[in-house]
Amino acid sequence: MRAQFVLSEVWIGLRRNLTMTIALVVVVAISLSLLGTGLLFVKQVDNTRSYWQSRVQLSVYLCTSQAIDANCNGAVTTAEIDSIQQALKSLPEVISVTYLSQPQAVALFKQEFANSPTLVKYTSPSQIPSSFEIRLRNTQADAIPVTNSVDGLPGVAQVVDDASILNNFYKLLDGARTAVVIIAIFLLVAAILLVANTIRLSAFNRRRETSIMRLVGASNFYVQLPFLVEGMIAGFFGWLISAGLLVAVKALWLNGLQSYFPYGVTLTTTDLVEVIIIALIMGLLICGTTSFLTLRRYLRV
Amino acid sequence: MIHFDNVTKTYPNQGRPALENVTLDIEKSEFVFLVGPSGSGKSTFLRLILKEERPTEGRIHVAGRDLARLTNWKVPHLRRRIGCVFQDFRLLPNKNVYQNIAFALEVIGKPRRFIRKVVPEVIDLVGLEGKRDRMPDELSGGEQQRVAMARAFVNRPTILLADEPTGNIDPATSIGIMKVLDRINRTGTTVVMATHDAAIVDSMRKRVIELEYGKVVRDQSRGVYGQAY
Ligand SMILES: Nc1ncnc2c1ncn2[C@@H]1O[C@H](COP(=O)(O)OP(=O)(O)OP(=O)(O)O)[C@@H](O)[C@H]1O
Ligand SMILES: [Mg+2]
Repeated sequence: MRAQFVLSEVWIGLRRNLTMTIALVVVVAISLSLLGTGLLFVKQVDNTRSYWQSRVQLSVYLCTSQAIDANCNGAVTTAEIDSIQQALKSLPEVISVTYLSQPQAVALFKQEFANSPTLVKYTSPSQIPSSFEIRLRNTQADAIPVTNSVDGLPGVAQVVDDASILNNFYKLLDGARTAVVIIAIFLLVAAILLVANTIRLSAFNRRRETSIMRLVGASNFYVQLPFLVEGMIAGFFGWLISAGLLVAVKALWLNGLQSYFPYGVTLTTTDLVEVIIIALIMGLLICGTTSFLTLRRYLRV
Repeated sequence: MIHFDNVTKTYPNQGRPALENVTLDIEKSEFVFLVGPSGSGKSTFLRLILKEERPTEGRIHVAGRDLARLTNWKVPHLRRRIGCVFQDFRLLPNKNVYQNIAFALEVIGKPRRFIRKVVPEVIDLVGLEGKRDRMPDELSGGEQQRVAMARAFVNRPTILLADEPTGNIDPATSIGIMKVLDRINRTGTTVVMATHDAAIVDSMRKRVIELEYGKVVRDQSRGVYGQAY
């Protein structure tokens, strides 16, 4: 194997159809970037989901003095709080009941919305109700029976199932994620077609060399190697650009998006590196196999 | 060295066979002229030896190998033992004389030390001393054909196939080309040359095989070209 010779042939090939090579590098770069962005998005959504999974609960909000709910008649009394707690504890679906007093609720609200100081500023502490936070045995199935049995008890303003709120949020995120992945797949198909075309053109440009190689008895592998390396190099440069773009996407866009996600859900550098490595494998695989398969059809023995 | 046993070759969608029931033997270090009118099957005969085409019927042995049993991935090894020269030279226009010849060795993975040693030797053998850095378009047709012969011979093949090597060259220059082929033949290489050049065939007095409509109509040692086509 003469590495230097193969590389010089590859260099000649790349230079000879420079415009196609550049187009190839750009398409590979864009499709890998989109794919990577999609994967980062998927990771963010998954992280959020598992963050909430352990925290999802049923909240029973109690009446405040300003409550306008139909069931409320002034602020909840201590006796009412006790009887609601009794009722909740007697339910078999309930694992635990935590009472969140009004000052505690205010403190929690301030912490969770620390990213939105305006909201905190314009919310009067008296508007924030005290509540029972309930963990259910089965977050999906038990929400409705438990809601039904406490809704309407004196002092209960509203029963809110966190899961039902989150589901809408998830739907939105899943939609965005699917869109990005579909666009990436279309671009990958475009990249595959472009690789095939570039290699075909390159094979046509080098048909003299190729026919002489076959005539003097070069092995098929040796005949195909320059094309294969050519495709892989284009794939590699496309990947290099996409890696840069992905770092930028994470720094500029996803980190900016971070404030809309719950505190504590972040994309780590490991996540980014993982996605970039997946992009490299995809890039080399696509360029390598496509040029190999194209050549098998093009170069007869 | 080359053995044809009742070989028939019919190209797809072609009524008449390009070669029909050809049986012949070519021994080691023989020099053979292949003559006959245009379309009589000379090039087809040479392509069959290279396994560029497969016979429709019959068996072919080359250098002791049964070509029908030779798998596709072993064909390159067969071709390393056969050198080829064509009417149109088939040089790479962007490589100089040295690089064109070295290319044949580089693509079969020969070490660079070996290439540096043998390429100048064949350049001398074909009489191109001092022209190793010329590009093909800076050479005459005769000189280009010498480069092609050097490339065909540089890996010391046991067989050299030449398809009308003097077809594009004037008679005076052709004599030089034939001298080189004769020199190559004297090293023990079997040479098979298809040609239309009566003067050359008549002057060399070698074995002549004549084809007509794909059939062998004459096989004569120390023969002449025959009637004018
Ligand atoms: N690839 C091909 N497909 C179909 N028919 C072919 C092919 N190659 C050659 N032939 C036919 O086979 C016959 C023999 O052709 P071949 O090239 O062997 O003749 P030749 O003796 O070399 O002629 P020339 O002296 O003109 O070079 C011709 O009738 C030609 O038309
Ligand atoms: Mg011919």
